[in-house]
Amino acid sequence: MSTGQAIFRDVPDPPAPKRPSLGSRLVKSRTDYLYVAPAILVMLVVIAYPIYYTIELSFFNTPASLALSEKQFNGLDNYVTILTSSIFWKVTWQTIIWTVVSTLFAFLLGLGAALALHREFAGRALLRGLLLIPWVVSAVAASYVWKWLYHSDFGAIGALMVQLGVTDQPINFLDNTTTSLYSLIVVNVWKEFSFAMIMLMAGLQTVPDTLLRAAQVDGASPWQRFWHVTWPHLSSVSTVTVLLLVVQNFNSFIIPFIMTGGGPVGSTQIWITHIYELAFLRQRWGVGAAYAVLLFIIMMTLGYFYVRALTRGDDQRAGA
Amino acid sequence: MSSITEYRSGGMGWRWAGRIFLVFLLGFTIMPMAWMLITSLKTGFAAMQYPPQWWPTEPTLDNYWRLLDPSGSVGQDFLRYFWNSMWVSVVTTVLAVAVAVPAAYAFSRFRFPGRTFLFFAVLLRNMFPAVVFLVPLFILMRVLGLVNTHGSLILTYLTFGLPLAIWLLKGFYDNIPIQLEQAARIDGATRFQAFFLIVMPLSTPGIIATSIYSFIGAWNEYIYAYTFLTRHDQMTLPVGIQRFFSENATDWPGLMAATFLMSIPVVVLFLVLQRYFVRALTEGAVKH
Repeated sequence: MSTGQAIFRDVPDPPAPKRPSLGSRLVKSRTDYLYVAPAILVMLVVIAYPIYYTIELSFFNTPASLALSEKQFNGLDNYVTILTSSIFWKVTWQTIIWTVVSTLFAFLLGLGAALALHREFAGRALLRGLLLIPWVVSAVAASYVWKWLYHSDFGAIGALMVQLGVTDQPINFLDNTTTSLYSLIVVNVWKEFSFAMIMLMAGLQTVPDTLLRAAQVDGASPWQRFWHVTWPHLSSVSTVTVLLLVVQNFNSFIIPFIMTGGGPVGSTQIWITHIYELAFLRQRWGVGAAYAVLLFIIMMTLGYFYVRALTRGDDQRAGA
Repeated sequence: MSSITEYRSGGMGWRWAGRIFLVFLLGFTIMPMAWMLITSLKTGFAAMQYPPQWWPTEPTLDNYWRLLDPSGSVGQDFLRYFWNSMWVSVVTTVLAVAVAVPAAYAFSRFRFPGRTFLFFAVLLRNMFPAVVFLVPLFILMRVLGLVNTHGSLILTYLTFGLPLAIWLLKGFYDNIPIQLEQAARIDGATRFQAFFLIVMPLSTPGIIATSIYSFIGAWNEYIYAYTFLTRHDQMTLPVGIQRFFSENATDWPGLMAATFLMSIPVVVLFLVLQRYFVRALTEGAVKH
């Protein structure tokens, strides 16, 4: 083996095929761009401009009227204001709880449902459809229904808990600083667990049946089969799912905005609702923009991992 | 007791655990929707009782008649919002498909400079929250003269839907063998004909899935509609129903009837076409 290689050691590598210059490649593939041009154009207008505008605004002190001719450059003042305020840390902590707990439970419920639905049985498609309903209905409708379910006087959940003897009196879920955030998390998990379910159901189809059967023949327990065969095959789709859930949860707005408006006493204020309040209710546009820039940075970091997880192996596929 | 697919889910114990879990999950999923429906069948008086009537003693459809009666002011507004939502969602969907199909095809088939970068740029759009774009987009819409028009919403919704639409469709095109097109080309078809006659029909499920996604996204959108439209005859349902009921004391049965009617189109559409959607996600999410 080693001697065989030695014979060829002195033979020079064949010259690498010359890569055509960028210019000629651009010309050669000019018609390809026609296909993507409409998509890119729309994205540029609606994405690139707002990002530029937000970054610029974050360095200015802006009047409440948003009359931009009167804005004054104030360097990093907006950022300093944010990072030194006590509310920043409170809101950040609440955002972390909201994001982590929502993602964890949505993923676990979704995984359980995907596994339970993996076996063929009568009514499976219908059941899958019913479980997907929360994901399909609007967050506005969901927020109103849950607000009604949580209602302090006439809410069904409070009444049910009393009838079942769990509590003596209906719990005031939303007007109580200790329960409000977690009550909203329940709504959020309800709304998005089926997204995790559908992604993981797709992932389960890539687990080779032959491997599972072989493991069973070799006497592996169901748990061992899951842990050593199924789970490794789910790792890439799980990564994408978790990242998407994290991004979605970090960017949540409608549920807290409609159900509590960030209250009581700011106990359900998360980043996005806080940015909205700063910009639109208190007209502190510059500070709001600086928050948005910080959010960009966090999202770009997550986005890097998202794209990496998503395009793993993408370039191995041959093109035309 | 060994069935053919037992290796998938374990023995009887695990199977029963799975069943119990599904029943629990189904209860959790359906309970709010059921309470929405039950409440919408009550009078305002019946809804405001403790303990609640788990089933209305005198069920009534009055809340629905009020919303759907074109001669009453409530019905007039509701039907207008419903129509606005339908118009915005359908136009968004048609445009999204028209833009996403060629883009996804190009991302799947061609290797042009900047392809990877552009693909990432498209995907990264999904990472940004709507609220961050509100102010700049509002100003942009003012420049374009689109404030208080449905055009502002359609343009914005298009960019929400596009990234996933392109991604889903790309998954479909990746799985259509290039040899099919090559064979058509050899038989004398132009690239365009090969695309239209061979690739498009094979990707119909992907196009259906993309359409559902765009439609649902546009139908349910709230934040931009809330900000861009101030004239109430332009409003879409998610914003409109809020305007209806929360001004004084909330009319919960009326609100529940409105949210129920608002949910019907998307839920029905989805339940009828869900197999396409599930399949598209499978192709897109897993084949990577």
